[in-house]
Amino acid sequence: MKNHLLRPVFIGCLLTGSLFAQYDLLLKGGHLIDAKNEIDEAKDLAIQEGRIAAVADSIDPSRAAKVVDISGLYVTPGLVDIHVHVYAGTGMKNAFSGDNSVYPDGFSFRSGVTTMVDVGSSGWRNFPDFKQRVIDRARTRVLAMLNIVGRGMGGDPIEQNLDDMDAAATAKMAMQYPETIVGVKTAHYRSPEWIPVERAVEAGTKADIPVMVDFGSFLKERPFEELVTKKLRPGDMYTHTYLGRVPLLDEQGKPRPYLFEAQKRGVKFDVGHGAGSFWWFQAVPSVKNGFIADSISTDLHFRSMNGGMKNMANVMSKFLALGLPLKDVVRKSTWEPAKQIKRTELGHLSIGAVADVAVFRLDKGKFGFLDIRNARYEGDQLLTCELTLRDGRVMWGLNGRAGTPWEEVQTSGR
Amino acid sequence: MKTLTLSVALLLAAPPLAQAQFDMLLKGGHVIDPLNEINSARDVGIKDGTIARVAVNIPESEAEKVVDVSGLYVTPGLVDIHVHVYAGTGARRGYNGDSSVYPDGFTLRSGVTTVVDVGSSGWEQFEDFKDRVIDRSQTRVLAMLNIISAGMTSGDEEHDIREMDPEATARMAKKYPEMIVGVKSAHYRHPDWTSVERAVEAGRLADIPVMIDFGSNHPETRPLADLLTKKLRPGDIYTHCFSGNRDELISETGKINPGMFAGRQRGVYFDIGHGGGSFRWNVAVAALQQGFPPDSISTDLHIGSMNRGMQTMIRTVSKIYNLDVPLYDVIKMSTSNPARQIKRTDLGHLSEGAVADVAVFRDERGVYGFADSRGARLTGNKLLECELTLREGEVRWDLNGRAGVHWKDVRERRRPRR
Repeated sequence: MKNHLLRPVFIGCLLTGSLFAQYDLLLKGGHLIDAKNEIDEAKDLAIQEGRIAAVADSIDPSRAAKVVDISGLYVTPGLVDIHVHVYAGTGMKNAFSGDNSVYPDGFSFRSGVTTMVDVGSSGWRNFPDFKQRVIDRARTRVLAMLNIVGRGMGGDPIEQNLDDMDAAATAKMAMQYPETIVGVKTAHYRSPEWIPVERAVEAGTKADIPVMVDFGSFLKERPFEELVTKKLRPGDMYTHTYLGRVPLLDEQGKPRPYLFEAQKRGVKFDVGHGAGSFWWFQAVPSVKNGFIADSISTDLHFRSMNGGMKNMANVMSKFLALGLPLKDVVRKSTWEPAKQIKRTELGHLSIGAVADVAVFRLDKGKFGFLDIRNARYEGDQLLTCELTLRDGRVMWGLNGRAGTPWEEVQTSGR
Repeated sequence: MKTLTLSVALLLAAPPLAQAQFDMLLKGGHVIDPLNEINSARDVGIKDGTIARVAVNIPESEAEKVVDVSGLYVTPGLVDIHVHVYAGTGARRGYNGDSSVYPDGFTLRSGVTTVVDVGSSGWEQFEDFKDRVIDRSQTRVLAMLNIISAGMTSGDEEHDIREMDPEATARMAKKYPEMIVGVKSAHYRHPDWTSVERAVEAGRLADIPVMIDFGSNHPETRPLADLLTKKLRPGDIYTHCFSGNRDELISETGKINPGMFAGRQRGVYFDIGHGGGSFRWNVAVAALQQGFPPDSISTDLHIGSMNRGMQTMIRTVSKIYNLDVPLYDVIKMSTSNPARQIKRTDLGHLSEGAVADVAVFRDERGVYGFADSRGARLTGNKLLECELTLREGEVRWDLNGRAGVHWKDVRERRRPRR
């Protein structure tokens, strides 16, 4: 009887809430990290119609149709992972434009990622196929850099073919899809010529977009130092920063001065962890001595996913283990990469911005982190993604925080 | 001369690797191997991709590589008998396409070494599925053929009895006995028994079990109790058993359908098949309270379940664990039980000589929320996390680098060139 009396009142409250609520969703009690707006403190965050509607010390729960308690957790912009391979499904064996790629949605949201940039799995010839096959069907925001190779990352000999590196055609395709194509990639080249880098920069200049370089083989005919101090433009990116072959350290184990010069010029260094490109013997002395990658990214593909890389939150946790403060790690995974791809509407929680939001738990304990050679580095913090919103909608909820206790859910009906 | 002496000394001092009895030793763990009724501290020695020895205190000196798994549980690699992994065809909406996912990004990190794709392909597309996914995966992928020739298209084909050909289905199953372990009927919306009957007929012809997703609920013409007590054979599998969609729980009485108990009595198996819409806490809680645990725990992994309440196999297993089912039992429901249901008794256990598909779990305590397929949350205090997965003795997942080497002990292989 008591229950029957209470129930209409309870339902009435819910209805009032939803009918007159100013906000659709309120994340209450979290610690907000938003690099662009220089926020690193306790804040509530409210969302309305898929946009950030309010960020304040305390927002009244009665103003929101739904309130999710996230006390003890960190709220960040949805992560922007600018190095992935997601051109899956073509059936091509041994190629990133096929079997080596994965579909994005099973890897993005569960790790707090809302935007991914596929870097060079497709070139100008197969970008339209990639777009209709993956980009247009994914719930993750998938952007792309075109490979300077027209047929994309199709393995060898496709990727070594200088005749298929057409700067004009690449720039033309990029300008046809400016909302999706954010850069030009060159990768995996093994011969001594500078041509792939030069053509990529030429395409990038024509389309006014940055270039990302995977330097392939490191050869004396085209020194790495020259790449980052001369060949690349300010705003261009070198990815796979802590790869074993990169000449990062001098005989004393200190970062070489040209690296800082390159950073000063505005060349950006991206992590691009992958299955072969993150070595502790490079990362530990570099980071400890101040040479720190500008952006953190996964190089997600079918081989890295089950190796040392695992997921974006794990790669970020590696940088916590290396001693970076959480706010820097978040900045390098949100606002910094968004700026690098010139998508400054992303990667922050300004009022009016799209409500791509991630909520993390920072666990303390003893954690092991593998590099790509099965070398283990130990850390005492681990980021785990608790909740991910894309356009204000819940896309991942690890512990059902946005759900309702099951005893309160109506049990009958389908 | 000095160098020579030194190398001889090194040779003498080096451990006799060539003679190591085991390639790998999982040391200090607690083994749960339900088929062999083991639930105690054991070391596991692996050689040439098979289980070589399970014993108390195997000396470290007998192994080339020792992985310390103290404080952890060592189990057979999990067998998830309900997934959809026929990805990459480009077919929109269909489970023979966009609704499927590739297996390896979901299995190994969750301790799963074998999955059964249930009915994403029918006999017509099976060979394409085999070429496209099964043959290219690190996960062991088995399959049940959909009784629908065109497979799980999510279109009208799934409700068209002209698409149901028991002979052709059985013929394909017999062509690939090492991969095709059953016949699936699913999603059928009409009030007749045709899809179930044809699936059972195909199963009988090929001597393999059927798995039933019972489609639309038609209690007047095809009630659940009749399926379980009359239509299915002993050894057939009823999946989505806690969905609540087809009177598994009688809402008027709050009782589990007596037909479920009667079906179990006859030897019908009950599978979770969590999915995006097939697991409800009110049904699961009632079932466990009334003495009706599932026979097998499975995910119904697909694009619509992976990011919702289901999430992963190990969280699905943790859900049943939090309903006060002992750890030993939930491991049994995820290893030897499903292996027996699909008649693959070579899998799901750690007998000496068995393939070294092994999972290592951490059993955590804390406060965890588990959403069902409608977002209803049960709060529990137990969570299993997969630490290590071996497939045929190879490390395929290593959460905390336990099988790795301390970074200072790894030598630089290549000198960076400026």
